Amino acid sequence: MSASEVRLPPARYEHGGDEFVFVELDQEMSLEANLKAMAITGALRREDIDGIIDICPSNASYLIRLDPDRLHPADLVDHLRALEHSAGQLPDDHAVRTRIVDVPVLFDDPWTRETLLKFRDRHQDPSATDLEYAARINGFTDVRALIDAITSAPFLVTMLGFVPGLPFCYQMVPRERQIEVPKYVRPRTDTPERAFGYGGAFAVVYPVRGAGGYQLFGIAPAPVFDLAQRLPDFADDIAFPRPSDVLRYRAVDRDEYDRTRTEVESGQFRYRTREVEFLPAELLADPDAVNTRLLEVLYR
Amino acid sequence: MSTVEAHVPGVFYRRPSPDAAPFIEAGSVVEAGQTIALIEIMKTFNEVKADKSCRVSKILLDDGDEVDVGQTMFEVDEP
Amino acid sequence: MNELIVRSGGLSTTVQDTGRDGQYAIGMPPSGAMDQYSFAVANALVGNPPGAAALEATYLGPELEFTDPRSVAVTGADCDVAINGEPAPTWAALRVSAGDVLSFGQVRGGARPYVAVGGGIDVPLYLGSRSTYLLTGIGGFHGRALAGGDRLPLGEPVGEAPVAGTEVPGELRAEFPDVTELRFVAGLCAYRLTERALASFVEVEWKVTKDADRVGYRLRGGSLEFVEREQPFGAGRDQANVVDLGYPVGSVQVPGGDEPIVLLNDAVTGGGYATIGTVISVDRDRMAQARTGGRVRFAPVDVETAVAARRERRVRLDKARAAVSAEQR
Repeated sequence: MSASEVRLPPARYEHGGDEFVFVELDQEMSLEANLKAMAITGALRREDIDGIIDICPSNASYLIRLDPDRLHPADLVDHLRALEHSAGQLPDDHAVRTRIVDVPVLFDDPWTRETLLKFRDRHQDPSATDLEYAARINGFTDVRALIDAITSAPFLVTMLGFVPGLPFCYQMVPRERQIEVPKYVRPRTDTPERAFGYGGAFAVVYPVRGAGGYQLFGIAPAPVFDLAQRLPDFADDIAFPRPSDVLRYRAVDRDEYDRTRTEVESGQFRYRTREVEFLPAELLADPDAVNTRLLEVLYR
Repeated sequence: MSTVEAHVPGVFYRRPSPDAAPFIEAGSVVEAGQTIALIEIMKTFNEVKADKSCRVSKILLDDGDEVDVGQTMFEVDEP
Repeated sequence: MNELIVRSGGLSTTVQDTGRDGQYAIGMPPSGAMDQYSFAVANALVGNPPGAAALEATYLGPELEFTDPRSVAVTGADCDVAINGEPAPTWAALRVSAGDVLSFGQVRGGARPYVAVGGGIDVPLYLGSRSTYLLTGIGGFHGRALAGGDRLPLGEPVGEAPVAGTEVPGELRAEFPDVTELRFVAGLCAYRLTERALASFVEVEWKVTKDADRVGYRLRGGSLEFVEREQPFGAGRDQANVVDLGYPVGSVQVPGGDEPIVLLNDAVTGGGYATIGTVISVDRDRMAQARTGGRVRFAPVDVETAVAARRERRVRLDKARAAVSAEQR
């Protein structure tokens, strides 16, 4: 079996006091770093080690919360180093089993537009909307072309966090096709619930209303977070997205947005979801082929 | 003479907003329960209220001053 | 139905226990009592099991009316406590009857008094804990701080409470030094700071600002410079930014270079600011009692010292428990 060694710098193991171990796989973001973080944390989860409280894969790193009374942090670091060599190699036949999800988004909607216009004094370009600004600095001819780029290839959920249920999503395309935008110059004090935003190289859906610094592109009709666990998709967990999920952001019109909202309100809504499997080695070698196949499975 | 002390630490304000007039001036006569200052702590503004009717003889702090628990903010006389 | 009537909520009083585990990966912090030592001793003083939910007040305590005979104890910050207007001791087992009112004066030392009641505060468990998480409004009493008119459900006392008047010896109570020393394991993304900045971080005496709450403590007193670099892909343009990562509870970040923030029990679980190290878990107890306007200092230690400090706290807690139960015999 040939192992296509993922080319990353040596991982850095750091103690976050006595209750946390932080492992940085790379200082820069890449699909490779995230796939490795997912592989290592996935293997660790299956081992079900006593004393590990939380396993948190992050974009290009991961964080473990432990109970030092049951597991010594130095012993955990030794174990994680070993896991880096066994689980972190990603051999060619290593497969990621996950789900692909259709996530409707109404781009350039009236609610996020109203919000972003209120905070122009905190933005890089007060005379444009966030979409217009992002299209321009990423070299797209217009907003439509930017939206096409976002919706044409799916995103990997590379981290959950900041606030409960917030998915950081990284598009499954090569570096040169990544969309990158700065965060607001000064964070907004308000963001609508379910706003679809973009910051750095990450897309997010804000789980709840609140402060935020990401560029605002649209709004999702369906929640990613449901404290009351009212919708069937939230029966097991208050957060819908899981690390390694593949999310396809699909542009919808106002009619579909309103219809979906009604389904959400009446408790009928379910995300369109399919079980899928992909090979990280294949994704890195030919992302377009993998993405085309994933989208076929989703809409079959 | 008696004093009004801070029950919480934070930042002291004499007025409800930067452009507004102060709640009271030295010499003001206030009723029990009347708001005489604000203390900002943990991102909230807490009203300081007179616990009895009195005349405020001296205001010891200015807008934006840090205040600690137990620190005297006002000297007051019974009317 | 046995209830505790809240006549006034105080500045910010919440129901807390040992915290909520297993939700960090979805972005939910543990919450829980910030000063776990004072919280645990309060429970011991009323005969509760260690994890029973209690009340954590901030600076200004609540006013509480009892509807049945109960054991009650106040620990944590040094403050005047009264029952029906009569002074009552803190760090001591108290006994109240129906109609009795527990009230608080201002804190003299520290920031957070803890109130344990025999039987515990019996709000529903949410994801395995009764702790309040204010940001999303979950857990505790309707996910919020207490307000006048609230009626808190109380549990049935299990086992026997220490007899009224039992006191925790002085040396086993919380201390409130002029400058709070916080032991700190440097690391995480400390490479983002210059060596001089890292050295000055532990030399400077920092002042706690008004933005110091359960989410985190913002400090002021020095300025720290970052190592200049070409920002890596995905990290964002600011020198303080890194590719978004997980934040340990107790970790320190320096968004603008001049106001470090120590993240605490209700903090965000991750984000894009470089973290430079972590306050050890035991010293979050001390931090909880450092107040706005107070001063703190960081003392670098290694992880072995941090683990040993946990053992020492457990020994101290066992001593306190033994001291209050011994007098029963």
